[in-house]
Amino acid sequence: MILFTNEGNPIGLQLLVLAKYLKRPMFLQQITITDAKYKDLILLPTVELDNGLRLFSTAAIYKYLLMHEGYPRNEWLEWGATLLTPALEHYMATGHRADSRAGPVLNALVKKLDDTLSVSPFIAGDKLTSADLFIWSLLAPDGTLKGAQNVEHLHSWYNKIKALPEVQEALKELPINTLSFNALQQGNRYGGLAHVQLRRGISQDADKVLADSGPTVADTVSEEEINTAREAFIYTEPKELVEPRTVLPKPGERNVLITSALPYVNNVPHLGNIIGCVLSADIFARYSRAAGYNTLLICGTDEYGTATENKALAENMTPREICDKYFELHNSIYRWFGIGFDYFGRTTTPEQTEIVQEAFKDVYEAGYILTESVEQLLCQKCDRFLADRFVEGTCPHPGCGYEDARGDQCDKCGKLVNATELVRPRCKVCNTAPVLRSSDQLFLDLPKAEPKLREWVDRAEQGWTHNARVITRAWLREGLKPRCITRDLKWGIPVPHKNFEQKVFYVWFDAPFGYVSITKRYTKDYLQWWQPAPGTDVELFQFMAKDNVPFHSVVWPSVLLAINKGNTLVSHIMATEYLNYEDGKFSKSRGIGVFGNDAQETGIPADVWRFYLASARPEGQDSSFSWTDLAARNNSELLNNLGNFVNRALSFCERNFDSKLPQIDLNHNDFLLLALINRELRGYINSLEKAKMRDGIRHLLSISRHGNGYIQYQQPWALLKGSDDQKTRAGTIIGLSINIVCLLANLLFPFMPTTARAMFAQLNTKQTPLDANKPFATLLLRPGHKIGTPSPLFNKLDHSFIESLKAKFGGSQADKEAVAAAGAAAALPQLSTVELEAAVKAQGEKVRQLKASTKDKAVWQPEVNKLLELKKQLEAAQKAGAGVTAAAGESPAPAGQSVQALEQAVQAQGDKVRQLKASTKDKAVWQPEVNKLLELKKQLEAAQKATPVSTGAVAAAAAAPVPSASPSAQSVQSLEQAVQAQGDKVRQLKSTTKDKAVWQPEVNKLLDLKKQLEEAKTASGAASATDSPAPKGIDAAAVKALQEKITQQGEKVRNLKATGDASVWKPEVEILLNLKKELAALDGSAAAAPQTKNKKKK
Amino acid sequence: MCDVATVQKIANCLGVAPGEIQLNDEQVVTRIGAQNNRVTGFATILESLAVESKSEIAQNSIASPEVQAQVYQWIEFAVLYVGPGSKDKHVSKQLLADLNNLFSSKSYLVGHFLTLADLAVFYAIGDLIKSLSPVDKENYLNLSRWYDHLQQRPDIHQGETLLNFTTIYLHNWATGTHL
Repeated sequence: MILFTNEGNPIGLQLLVLAKYLKRPMFLQQITITDAKYKDLILLPTVELDNGLRLFSTAAIYKYLLMHEGYPRNEWLEWGATLLTPALEHYMATGHRADSRAGPVLNALVKKLDDTLSVSPFIAGDKLTSADLFIWSLLAPDGTLKGAQNVEHLHSWYNKIKALPEVQEALKELPINTLSFNALQQGNRYGGLAHVQLRRGISQDADKVLADSGPTVADTVSEEEINTAREAFIYTEPKELVEPRTVLPKPGERNVLITSALPYVNNVPHLGNIIGCVLSADIFARYSRAAGYNTLLICGTDEYGTATENKALAENMTPREICDKYFELHNSIYRWFGIGFDYFGRTTTPEQTEIVQEAFKDVYEAGYILTESVEQLLCQKCDRFLADRFVEGTCPHPGCGYEDARGDQCDKCGKLVNATELVRPRCKVCNTAPVLRSSDQLFLDLPKAEPKLREWVDRAEQGWTHNARVITRAWLREGLKPRCITRDLKWGIPVPHKNFEQKVFYVWFDAPFGYVSITKRYTKDYLQWWQPAPGTDVELFQFMAKDNVPFHSVVWPSVLLAINKGNTLVSHIMATEYLNYEDGKFSKSRGIGVFGNDAQETGIPADVWRFYLASARPEGQDSSFSWTDLAARNNSELLNNLGNFVNRALSFCERNFDSKLPQIDLNHNDFLLLALINRELRGYINSLEKAKMRDGIRHLLSISRHGNGYIQYQQPWALLKGSDDQKTRAGTIIGLSINIVCLLANLLFPFMPTTARAMFAQLNTKQTPLDANKPFATLLLRPGHKIGTPSPLFNKLDHSFIESLKAKFGGSQADKEAVAAAGAAAALPQLSTVELEAAVKAQGEKVRQLKASTKDKAVWQPEVNKLLELKKQLEAAQKAGAGVTAAAGESPAPAGQSVQALEQAVQAQGDKVRQLKASTKDKAVWQPEVNKLLELKKQLEAAQKATPVSTGAVAAAAAAPVPSASPSAQSVQSLEQAVQAQGDKVRQLKSTTKDKAVWQPEVNKLLDLKKQLEEAKTASGAASATDSPAPKGIDAAAVKALQEKITQQGEKVRNLKATGDASVWKPEVEILLNLKKELAALDGSAAAAPQTKNKKKK
Repeated sequence: MCDVATVQKIANCLGVAPGEIQLNDEQVVTRIGAQNNRVTGFATILESLAVESKSEIAQNSIASPEVQAQVYQWIEFAVLYVGPGSKDKHVSKQLLADLNNLFSSKSYLVGHFLTLADLAVFYAIGDLIKSLSPVDKENYLNLSRWYDHLQQRPDIHQGETLLNFTTIYLHNWATGTHL
């Protein structure tokens, strides 16, 4: 038999023990699952039997080879494989400790084993069976039972099995300390068993039997590591971290040039942009400077192009003014995030023009420019050639067929598109089909550069991220085609070529040279970076999101290779995947997500944002921004882990040692701690050298976790009360802890510079350089060093605060406006009427001017919309004002008025829909309007119902201050409480998981409770004549909650429908319909309630 | 689908009285069959059903020790990977790819006949397949073929709505939704 397994996989032991037990030879072959040679293997370990049959399930192999044992062994095999193994994996594997269920579940499983063994000597009865071997082999690695208490039966059984000669033989080949459940993660392509949800049984409060620490990592530290830690922990005078005024590369040193993809000036960057480019680049640059490399970080805004021209038209400014305005916006956002560019420039500079034009001449002279007549799309209605991004149509790539592909790239398949190749193109502005016209354009001869490029890619791609390699390879596989580098625009760099003076360079020929020109703004010696002298090595790290990869890996290098002047070519393309917003996309147009300027408004410190974004950085795969996650990380990792450790160590020193670092005499335990820290430190350095920030943070937090554990375990506060020796010992513990704090401050600096500075201030020291070649903890602060004043570093983010932010940024722009408008109207109804009148007037003026100056509907339509919106608000406010005077300052009136406004809106929208349906059959055209209509109707319905209920409730609340004490009323009350509690539970559940299977039962319970409540209320109403106001309030609340849910669900459905995939949105639509039904049911009772009340009043 | 329902479906499919199927206090599916006979664990229950059944699928599944071992390993795979993995974005992607790859060279998971292995994976992967877009279904063509083939059998679909695997209608359906 052959056993294929990966290094350290604990399941391998199960199989080896079995082979020994059967006395059959088994050849151990350690492989990696990612090896292409073994791509047919699905799980490791896999056994190839002598007859050639391959099996990957250990239980199946056990059963096959020992068929006669049968029941009940079979049940135990399955139990071991499907319950015990996942629980062990969750409990042991680093990174999965976060699963709070793992401990209790594993505890219960172990307890069950002990119970079983208390009644029979072996697991499956009186005789030794393979189940014993199977389960013993699972418990042996990682020392699960070490320190376990009250499981004597299990312990004695464990030792009995361990003593078996077969087992001993197997352990010779696979020593226990080489095995770890960590290794399961490399045993398959699914990341181990992390996806298995542990089932928490009913009788889970079994007495705790396992020791807290689980397996102690300390056992794995070797003598050598201890010695290294001991030797390294000495004081050396730190080198000053001095930064020259102008950083230039030096021969014989490591020179790191870092660029971040140039953000397009018109777009307000969202969190995904920030982490993908500028923040990643900044973190890496800060690390690189701390490691003592000559580091230059360059970025700037990309400003030329059609989009700027249009924006300028829309805002009635020149393109230059637009750029100035938005440049400041970008600059301020990045400054707020603490991005430390060496220079943040822009592409609209004379340097840029000069460099691009010269590059063009070089490329031209080298013979890489072609002239071709190009067919371009002309929109006759808008009377202009359409830039790529102003055409949309169906993606021409076979197999894709995405109907909203942009003229330059398809969002679905990611391939580049030529606008003219789009199937059924349409002008994005007016939606008419453009026509083809031809004009001469210049092309870059990429096929000619291809051989050089291929040769370069083969050499360079080692340092790129995986996705960058894949994307580039995909491009090369498809073969390169000539690409047009000129455009018929005005806002751009003029083409210095005869007959082309009227044209400008296309953005991707122009923008990459921005890196060079911005460096030139920084220093006149920019060529030292971009065309280094022989003997000087410059490593170029470029950070970007994956959609930018082709321009940095294929197009621009081709240009530079064509010029052939020894330009610095990118050695490290650091491409990220996409960051989603709460599982959806960031969308500026729909107002979904957090944008650069929003982050500032939240009041959450920039450093916390930096930390969270870096730890959620989409390396390797897409990741999601989630408010709950942000709060959780802040509270559990920053506040409870890092902040707690720092503050504990420093305060202890301040209080008990007069702020002076005590004498440090390290013993074995301390070196053990240092050895463990050195492991993490090495991990940190290795990660950051490769710009893997997520892993870097993980290692950093592990160090602080070790520190916390150390203080907790050593209990210096207890020692302080003891003998002199013990007091000295307490001093050592604090001295060492403070040194770890200092190390942490240095490691934290790239991620959270402000916090790190605060830590340095509290430590009364300065940043010390990191030595990437010697990643060992050293004595940074000597005994006698006086520390500063400790104070807490982080604040807690409350659940309610986070919920409010979630609500604020989660909804659509329209929702936000509605909320804002409602708020304004409620607060100052009279004043806002006046204000609104003024606003309407101003906006009307603006629209008239715009309409006079341009025919471009795209330009004035948004303003017209604003105007209409304002008018609507004004109308509502006026009516509200009237209502207010009538109701003598009572607030519910506006709601009643908004019913009228809504009724009008519904009517108007209905007319519009009827007209549209009459004029066209194209569902795509009228469907959105129909949706709007439905939405309006829903709002109207909601408003109509909300009004009587709320007034009723208010009046009732005033009328009946004393609750009735009749028993049925009591039961109503208790039911109400139950409903509320259950509602909270459901909401929490829903927020934590999408798994309907999880929350559905609770929802059912909630519905049941509500039904009961309703019944109880009817009963109580009948039993006593007293009027209990509360139920209506509750009902109104339930109705409101449902309405909210419906609006949310509706929003979700609409978003999903926009993606067009019926199989995706159908289920959501069903949910929506169900919700509506529910609402209707509730409404019946809610609407009925106030009526009866009115009757009684009469 | 939860284990209890799946066991009942498979029992129906095999033409065996399922007996009482419930979760025990470890939340593991348990079958109380004739003579109050308790069997615990999804895979073990399926084996017990196969032994009682005369149906072709059951006979196939215990045709030889080798087949039996392979059937068992796929049932375990369905329990440990397909079921829980379907709810994880990244695991499910890998699962789809692996299974699709597997079905590029065979029609059934074990041997060349329908076994309990296919049933276990079929019911475990149903929700995931349901969530796929038509284009995705086409990307996992071999898996889709296998799934479609199985779901056509009345003893397997047992009255559930069949999933659609044709993509021809897409072109009519996907006209511009652009505003």
